[in-house]
Amino acid sequence: MAGVSDGLAERTQAQLRHGLRVAMLVLTAVILCGLSLSSLVRNLHRFPVPQAQFAAFAVLAAVLAAEAVLVVRRRSWGAMRGPAVLIVLAAAALSYTTLDGHTASSVDWAFGAANWVGAAVLLERPLRSMVVFLVAHESLALLDLLVLEDVTRAALARFATGSVTVVGFPLCIAVVAVVLRGIGAAAAAAADELARVRTEEAVAVESHRRRAQRFAELSDTAVPLLEGLADGSLTPDDAGVRRRCAIEAARMRRLFAEADTVANPLLHELRHCADVADRKGVEVELEARGSLPALPRAVRRDLTEAALTALATAESRARVAVVGSAELVSVSVVADCGEVEVPEPATPGVRVEAHGAGGTVWMEARWQPGS
Amino acid sequence: MATGELITAVIVDDHAAIAAGVRYWCERADPPIALIDADGRLANVWTGPGAAADVVILDLELTPRKPEFGELRRLVDSGRRVVVYSQHADDATVIKCIDLGALAYLTKREGPEHLVPAVRAAAGGAPYTGPSLSGALVADTSPDRPRLSPRETEVLRAWFASSSKELVAAKLNITAKTVDTHITRVRIKYANAGRAARTKSELVTRALDDGLITLEELSGSTPHM
Repeated sequence: MAGVSDGLAERTQAQLRHGLRVAMLVLTAVILCGLSLSSLVRNLHRFPVPQAQFAAFAVLAAVLAAEAVLVVRRRSWGAMRGPAVLIVLAAAALSYTTLDGHTASSVDWAFGAANWVGAAVLLERPLRSMVVFLVAHESLALLDLLVLEDVTRAALARFATGSVTVVGFPLCIAVVAVVLRGIGAAAAAAADELARVRTEEAVAVESHRRRAQRFAELSDTAVPLLEGLADGSLTPDDAGVRRRCAIEAARMRRLFAEADTVANPLLHELRHCADVADRKGVEVELEARGSLPALPRAVRRDLTEAALTALATAESRARVAVVGSAELVSVSVVADCGEVEVPEPATPGVRVEAHGAGGTVWMEARWQPGS
Repeated sequence: MATGELITAVIVDDHAAIAAGVRYWCERADPPIALIDADGRLANVWTGPGAAADVVILDLELTPRKPEFGELRRLVDSGRRVVVYSQHADDATVIKCIDLGALAYLTKREGPEHLVPAVRAAAGGAPYTGPSLSGALVADTSPDRPRLSPRETEVLRAWFASSSKELVAAKLNITAKTVDTHITRVRIKYANAGRAARTKSELVTRALDDGLITLEELSGSTPHM
């Protein structure tokens, strides 16, 4: 059960993560190859060293291409993630230091592109990695502005407005990623819970069915006896009533034993019946020979019924002998139980024979498959 | 052993209480049986007073979970008459002891009503089949087991089930003597099958001499024929 739901949680989360990663890749590609590249080409004449700008663009494009390959292969950056982020920052630094006073202006194509490439690489990492990267990138641009350019009020204002989108948007995406991870886990947990509740319900239905069945089985014989004892129409002084009680007690013991998972249910059930007699001080011998085939519960019940009746009413001694083979299973009981009612088997393969001599009763139940 | 002479038996059992209990049963038997206690040592069965005993009562598991099949074989091969008296009761072990040539196999749940007649029978070289052994013979499904008649199987099963020859006789409408005859015939068939042993061939020869079984019936009972 746990394995299944763990697998489900894993799959749900992986699907959500992958979707977000694809969206981020497409978005970054559009920004880098659409907006930034056109800005770079349009303003080519304004750069003192255009080759440096192209080199920076090529580096960013290469990192994004690597991300694209990884997305297609559904692989993670692994140990290469750190170096990739450093390369992005290095490309940004190269671009900023060769801008000649245009940081955060429309000429500065890299300011709004490097952040996205870095964010795409860091999408699967925790939020704080993203924040550290965005702050580092922002600091690079600011440092460049303060050290290499004229710090005017207009330049600072431009930088501040630019920063809102450059830091804000990727951060939004990162927050969405974190939220999605939470939703994935919650969905998996909900599926888990659902499966657990369904299992519990099925178990409850099954045990109710079994209890109802057991009650139905007891209601024919045990319930009238209990009712009779309760309303006073039957009295424990009567030997016949005591006999019926002993038999019903043994039937209940057998019923409880039937629910146990054991290697040899027939012997297990007979041992429980023997125990009822043993507690009354009856000397019980239980011997089994041969190997028993797997028997349906109804057949076992027919086979044990005669032994149960004799054991429950035995005076001082009883011998139960079981012989098993694939063609015949015989359960025989010899006990000093006086007169007994010979039980009528319910299944067609079982025959019960009784033989009595001087207070000793010998009953044998035989099961032959297909007879 | 001549009739009227005192039967002597030697018991080898690692539990002193069992030996003491068996001694009590032997002393109370009529006529009594002289019992020698080997003190749990097999050597005392071969030397000293134990060596001359008519019957050996052998506890199969002197060492737990290590049945003394080898010792049983040596005793039988040197002509000793052995009654195996054991805690161990699985079908295969019982059948193996009979195949090796033990004249009786009794479980320790079977008391003096079986052990005393078993020792008497063994002293005369005859087999004794208690209810437990009878059940094992009915349940025997090994490929080289002798072929039994339906009546013989019926008698064995009834003897195992009731533990009373009177009940078996009454149920099957035969005399108690006929019950014994059927059971003995089964033992003769077993003695004629499997491993050769002196006690076993003696049984077969005597049964043929007594007319208990015919050579035809005997050869018809062996498998692969």
